[in-house]
Amino acid sequence: RQPAPPQQLENKVLDKRRLQELVKEIDPLEQLDEDVEEMLMQIADDFIDNVVTASCLIAKHRKSNTVEVKDVQLHLERSWNMWIPGFGSEELRP
Amino acid sequence: AGQLRSCHDENFLHSVPLRSKINAIAKKHGLDDVPSQVVSLISHATQERLRNIVEKLANIAEHRLEIYKA
Repeated sequence: RQPAPPQQLENKVLDKRRLQELVKEIDPLEQLDEDVEEMLMQIADDFIDNVVTASCLIAKHRKSNTVEVKDVQLHLERSWNMWIPGFGSEELRP
Repeated sequence: AGQLRSCHDENFLHSVPLRSKINAIAKKHGLDDVPSQVVSLISHATQERLRNIVEKLANIAEHRLEIYKA
């Protein structure tokens, strides 16, 4: 089995410590295989690519030069059935 | 835009490499650099995505063990 490549902390968006913290939050007794960790990092990378690319297309569709929160939210809701609270939604204002 | 969150909000992903990754994709599409709220939102969404998967994995792993116990 190939040894894991050295962590390039400055380039990686996610490090294994954060991933392990997330796992501990879900189930304190759960442990991840190293292969699974690598795969989750890859999934995170692919997810970011997918969301950013789709959000760029939505921003271009409304003829804007900048990706805004609403572009990302639209894609997250429609394609991932995901709503992240606390990002510029008017209905939360007092 | 005012910040509505009252608790300290530390990004799950490392902001600097995440921001450059996002800006690189935006640039490829001829768009400007993205606002930091977008970077933060994508960090939260990625955390949510991984949380969903790990929850399912924990469940599946438990079932796998039950087969051997039976």
